[in-house]
Amino acid sequence: MTPDVVVVDRLIKRYGAVTALAGVSLDIRKGEFIALLGPSGCGKTTLLRAIAGFVEPTSGDIRINGRSMTGVPPNQRPVNTVFQQYALFPHMTAIENVAFGPRRQGLAGGEIAARVKAALAMVGLEALAGRYPRELSGGQQQRVALARAIVNQPDVLLLDEPLGALDLKLRKRMQLELKRLHQQLGMTFLFVTHDQEEALAMADRIAVMREGSIVQLGGGEDIYRNPATRYVADFIGEANLLACRVGARGTIDVAPEGPALPYQFNGNDAGEVSLMVRPQDVLVGGTVGADEVALAATLKDKVFVGSTWRLFLALAGGQEIAAEPGYSIEAGRLAIGEATTVHWRRDAARILAD
Amino acid sequence: MRLTPVNTAVLLLGPIAFFVLFFAAPFALLIGESFARPDGGITLSNYVAVLTDGYYWKALLNTLLISFWVTVVCFVLGYPLAYFIVFHVPSAGVRRGIYVLLVTPLFTSNIVRAFGWIVILGRRGMVNSSLIAIGLIEAPLDLLYSKTAIVIGLAYILLPVMTLSVCSVLQTVDRSLIEAARDLGARPSRAFLAVTFPLSLPGVVAGSIIVFALSVSAYVIPSILSGGREMVTPILIFQQYTATFRPDIGAALSVVLLVVTLLLIGAYLFFLERRLRVAV
Repeated sequence: MTPDVVVVDRLIKRYGAVTALAGVSLDIRKGEFIALLGPSGCGKTTLLRAIAGFVEPTSGDIRINGRSMTGVPPNQRPVNTVFQQYALFPHMTAIENVAFGPRRQGLAGGEIAARVKAALAMVGLEALAGRYPRELSGGQQQRVALARAIVNQPDVLLLDEPLGALDLKLRKRMQLELKRLHQQLGMTFLFVTHDQEEALAMADRIAVMREGSIVQLGGGEDIYRNPATRYVADFIGEANLLACRVGARGTIDVAPEGPALPYQFNGNDAGEVSLMVRPQDVLVGGTVGADEVALAATLKDKVFVGSTWRLFLALAGGQEIAAEPGYSIEAGRLAIGEATTVHWRRDAARILAD
Repeated sequence: MRLTPVNTAVLLLGPIAFFVLFFAAPFALLIGESFARPDGGITLSNYVAVLTDGYYWKALLNTLLISFWVTVVCFVLGYPLAYFIVFHVPSAGVRRGIYVLLVTPLFTSNIVRAFGWIVILGRRGMVNSSLIAIGLIEAPLDLLYSKTAIVIGLAYILLPVMTLSVCSVLQTVDRSLIEAARDLGARPSRAFLAVTFPLSLPGVVAGSIIVFALSVSAYVIPSILSGGREMVTPILIFQQYTATFRPDIGAALSVVLLVVTLLLIGAYLFFLERRLRVAV
């Protein structure tokens, strides 16, 4: 069992009447790559900044390697941050930026030089060490920011949406590079993002946040397959969320007029209940298997998205469902307005409350 | 409207005319005057007279020394004030109020404010009577009618200029840079010295050049607070025009003052250039 390097213990942060963190608890294992995922305003950045020491929690505690961080200023915490807009010192060259941390630690000159050189080599920037930030491209600035943080060998590296300012192609490349760095360094990474794809691509575990709380924590695939709530299902990957009615004994049928579905709702939440099924799991037409759930539908629209067709269908009651049934010639031939069947394996769908 | 060469020229006509009429032309006249012989013709004798007379040099040195100290005092008082306003006044409304308060004294006459200092600094003034009252001194200090009095008077008037100049640049310093410094292990003082201060230097430079230039050319404050005991070049120039009726000497003095001031500012900028180039 790897020890927890960071323990966030019932952390609450209020700004006047606004609650940014509503009692968050989170244990981060040593060497783990963990992503805080959520829309803007969900508290993910506040949590990161609380760990870095820039936000003083209203109550609760953060422990790093067993030591409480309450009252410990940012400069004395064993963490380093890669800031959203990099926050490189404009009046210092890349190498001076990277050397800033080691100099504060009072290391010997030779040791500083060796460490800085190694960090710059790690991100492939030795050749540009003498340049000022404004003489570097966005991607290069990003690398300097990374080198500047990892050179201090922090217990936890905090990354605040570090790829947000990059274009899509560069972002994909930096994702892989971050993952490689993480493996090479064996350092603990805490990564804040609002991009679920990014979180899925990089993180060992994802903490999905909403309104100051963590609503689900787990591996990317696990969250994708078994979202705990409608919110999570909607946020991670694409999902069809069909509004359902809950019958007397937890029976489920599609709103507003059925038919009944072979699922059971066990919660006691009288609120909205949805059936969640991923478009990739929805098949259109063809034969319906024995363990499958099928509904009658008509095709409303279809879009060719490159590798497959994306179909938009209407169910009998009016609800819409999207399907991306892999590559199939039948799906392509289906005409708009034509009646067909949508079906999916019974265990591919989930019944979720809000 | 498209910016064609023609309407660009038309648009520039106003500013250029203004500049020529009110700056270039008078300045050319001044330079011409400084080379003029009383009977017409060109001579260097005015400059010889100005540059060989120790009295003029002493006044010039006095002027520069006073201006230097005014700049130092304005920086020492103005920088922390600007820092406080920018970093420790959270409400933008309050900040705006403070800016208005800073500027308000500039609407009052310098003469009135100089006389205010006479009341405060005089032998029976507030400073001396307070110091005697708390037993720090026994006899009143000679504060008034000295270089110190002039420095105090000028610094008091020019402090807002320095403060506002520093404020305007401090405001643009990215807070996340300061956080980054703290994050990388810098104590607050180190973060200030390594990041905030260097990045605010353009404001300090602009402020100090304006303060220095205004001090060098100040006439009212020195003439009131010197009490005739201290001589500065602007007073000297004024006397050449009004008392001794030597506008040619006055013009030469003006040109010398201008050239020396420009050289000093040039040297100052040259000295700071490297850091500035990086910070801007």
